[in-house]
Amino acid sequence: MSPEPTSLLQGTLDLLILKSLIAGEMHGLGVSRRIQQITGGTFVVKPGSLFPALHRMEEEGWISSFWGASENNRRAKYYRLSKAGLRQLEAETKRWGRISWAIAQALGVS
Amino acid sequence: MPLFVKARSFLRNLFLSRRVEIDLDQEVHAHLEMMAEENIRAGMQPNDALRAARVELGGIDQVKVQVREQRLGNWLHSVLFDCRYGIRQLRKNPGPTAVIVFTLALAIGATTAIFSVVYGVLLRPLPYTDSNRIMAVFEVNAEGRWAHLADPNFDDFRDQNRSFQAIAKYSEYVVSVSGASQPSRTTVAPVSPDFLKVFGIQPILGRDFTADDAKKGAGRTVLVSYGYWRQDLGSPQDLSQAHLKIDGAVYSVIGVLPAGFRFPADVDLWLPADLDGENPSRTAHNYYAAGRLRDGVTVELANRDISAIARRIHDTSSEQGDYLLKDGIVVSLQNSITGKARPPLLVLLGAVGFLLLVACANVANLLLAQASVRERELAIRSALGAARGRLIRQFLTEAFLLSLAGGGLGVLGAFWGVAGLLGLAPQNLPRLDSVSISVPVLLFAFLLSTAVAAGLGAFTAARVTSGDLRKGLVEGGRGQAGSQGSQRVGRVIVAAQIAITLVLVVGAGLLGRSLMKVLEVNPGFRVDKIVTMDVSLPWVDDPKAKASQAIFFSNLIDRLKQIPGVRKVGATSGLPMNQDGGLPDGMFLLMTQNEIPRTTDGFGALFQQKERIGNADFCVATDGYFQVLGIPLIRGRIFDERDGANSPHVAVISESLARDRWPNQEPIGHTIEFGNMDGDLRLLTIVGIVGDTHEYGLDAPPRPTVYVNLFQRPRAAVTLTMLSDADTRMVTSAARGILQDLNPEIPARFRTFSQVYSASLGSRRFNVILIGFFGIVALLLATAGVFGVMAYSVSRRTREIGVRVALGAGSGDVLRMILGQGLRTIFIGVAIGIAGSLALTRTVESLLFGVTATDPLTFGGVTLLLVGAALLACFIPARRATKVDPMVALRYE
Repeated sequence: MSPEPTSLLQGTLDLLILKSLIAGEMHGLGVSRRIQQITGGTFVVKPGSLFPALHRMEEEGWISSFWGASENNRRAKYYRLSKAGLRQLEAETKRWGRISWAIAQALGVS
Repeated sequence: MPLFVKARSFLRNLFLSRRVEIDLDQEVHAHLEMMAEENIRAGMQPNDALRAARVELGGIDQVKVQVREQRLGNWLHSVLFDCRYGIRQLRKNPGPTAVIVFTLALAIGATTAIFSVVYGVLLRPLPYTDSNRIMAVFEVNAEGRWAHLADPNFDDFRDQNRSFQAIAKYSEYVVSVSGASQPSRTTVAPVSPDFLKVFGIQPILGRDFTADDAKKGAGRTVLVSYGYWRQDLGSPQDLSQAHLKIDGAVYSVIGVLPAGFRFPADVDLWLPADLDGENPSRTAHNYYAAGRLRDGVTVELANRDISAIARRIHDTSSEQGDYLLKDGIVVSLQNSITGKARPPLLVLLGAVGFLLLVACANVANLLLAQASVRERELAIRSALGAARGRLIRQFLTEAFLLSLAGGGLGVLGAFWGVAGLLGLAPQNLPRLDSVSISVPVLLFAFLLSTAVAAGLGAFTAARVTSGDLRKGLVEGGRGQAGSQGSQRVGRVIVAAQIAITLVLVVGAGLLGRSLMKVLEVNPGFRVDKIVTMDVSLPWVDDPKAKASQAIFFSNLIDRLKQIPGVRKVGATSGLPMNQDGGLPDGMFLLMTQNEIPRTTDGFGALFQQKERIGNADFCVATDGYFQVLGIPLIRGRIFDERDGANSPHVAVISESLARDRWPNQEPIGHTIEFGNMDGDLRLLTIVGIVGDTHEYGLDAPPRPTVYVNLFQRPRAAVTLTMLSDADTRMVTSAARGILQDLNPEIPARFRTFSQVYSASLGSRRFNVILIGFFGIVALLLATAGVFGVMAYSVSRRTREIGVRVALGAGSGDVLRMILGQGLRTIFIGVAIGIAGSLALTRTVESLLFGVTATDPLTFGGVTLLLVGAALLACFIPARRATKVDPMVALRYE
């Protein structure tokens, strides 16, 4: 699991967190596992990166949090996408699309 | 919306940090436990599951730290942390901290107090609408000096200029005013009708002057200041019944000006000028002028405009000669008021700036000494992972704490200092009423403290964190080699301190020697035991009325002589050293009775004949005046009973006039005509020559003077002088009673001549006291600086000295070594200081008297003083070094 297969740029991590939360509200571990799942195991987010990112994004107003019960009835903190977060996701997705296309062009792998 | 969310998070992080922390703690723990559960589900043993989860998490506290660093407002937390840590550090060393704060408070307070004077006098805009558009207009005479305006010249400026939307002339004088609560000597200003328009103000009650009010022979009208309206008139809403008797004539009060408007300074009443007609002469310079520029007109344009008009007047006027204007000039009114005060004030500001530098140098040295003690602490913090930036910030924070504490205390001190300055300030310093600790002054103090903090903090941080911090651990605490660098820096600072102090003390020395030289000047008259009494009768033109005024003064003098203890009584039109203004001066004509021309043109022609004209001040006096002031008679006689109103008019002239105008001749017996001074064309026969007097201050050369007899050439306003052995208060009240008895409507002002004399030295004394004070403080600080650095160096070298002594060095060798090290520093500082003084004392040249800016005596004396003080400061630590016991020193660690 470590070292991480690919070091995550901050913007990329934000994008992945937003993307995983589109499926619905979930707690930190859920987000982490979801990212692992949707990237086919390429990205493994460690708590040391995940929590700062979650808290920062909450302060930015992209996500909001609340205390809820986990699958095992454990008290856990859940995160949910806000409207601003949704807009951010759309904007970031477009930007990412442009960048990845440009990089792919540059590297000649398209 | 996101902004709102951010603000909420920021405030939450700041004020609910406990809850935020508990939340985080629970979240991370829950996360850990969920991971462990996952692992158990995957088939692990509970213990292994928890351990694996911990490994994946990577340390609960590390995660928390990373989250905290992400938080909004995190910087504020760390600043607060630095402050708390800084305060703890400073409190651990209460002695040095107190010294530093006190030193900074002294320097910042002194600088703030001086700045408040500079700001109030020079920088603060005049309190009028768009005051930077208000200009003063002057004539420029043949010598290039600025002169007041003659009536026809002002009229031409007013009518022909294209630069001013309003322009007005004004003057000011003190007269007796009655009709209000009590008769008083009040400053009045005759002004032309546009005066208020220039300043952009209007009466708050009643009306402004109109052109009709200013016409020759118009009904007499007066505008009053707000203060006068309230205190002397009793704030009547209806002005129709308000009348004042000013200078013997009755005026109707037509308007009240807004509170705070008093221009020229101290004026309470404004009257239309020239109600008796203008003076047609182009060389009678009786008025100031001020104008408000039209929109879009620059000062340069206005200057060109006025200059062109002035030169046209010069070229076409029939009145030629030195008194006719040659050019005109426009300067901002503010500069024209404060221009003369500028150089000495800037010198003061420079001096206090030097004091600030010396104080900062001391503080820098103290901080450096403290920081090198803290090398170990820094080394440990650095080894534990503190970034260099973080450590630098720590030093900056501590410097800010110290400077702000010092600055705060300093500002408190400055309130007291400004009060002291205002009490000490010379009376002729303009705009003193606008000096206070105002918002801009506070801002200045804050910026100054910040700048000092930034400088000191950056300096210490750069010194301390340069190089490998961790060496502090290796060095074994008592760094010998590592601190060599910082000791060198300490010596450089001390040398700079000595240099700056030397410049400051040399400046103070030059000013002090100037003051002594001034005091050595023989004024030409006696100062002690003289009571003066200013009296103004109404101004009259009619010869009969004038004659009766002469009789009034004659009676007054006779009665004053009878006051017990009063020995002699005299009267003069111009008391020497009086800063209210000087004597009028002008050109007289040397001629005999037969040569008196019948026409004005005839006079004009005579003024063209160089051998006939002379230039002198014109003073009206009585015989008693010379006796009271002890002005010596050189030849001939002074006025006496022979010189009655109907006898031939006589004059007494001053020695310098006799010497310059009649070289190798006997002036006594010559007749002169000086009618342009008082309108009396009768010739004056010179009957005596008296000693010169320094009319305009000890540092101004005596002016050639023509004295005429008050009883032949009466005058409405005079100063009576009484030589008396009796108590001043007794004489004053007796004299007041006599005046009351003769005419209850005439007020008087009493002073002692020594007060007048002492006030004339006011600005010189002010500069000497302040710069002297700054010099002494700087000297003490510099001495303390030398002592501190030497003492520190000796304590650091204790072991080395011990080794030297153990190897056979005598106490003389040790003393020589330490003193030699100190002397090198001192001499470098002195050399730089002398070079700096030679360059900088030129700026005070205009304030010097009787000494050159490179006065060797001052330079030598100050150098000796400074070297002596610094050596003494070295000697104490050096002696301590000789007492080092090698056995103790070697076990010192």
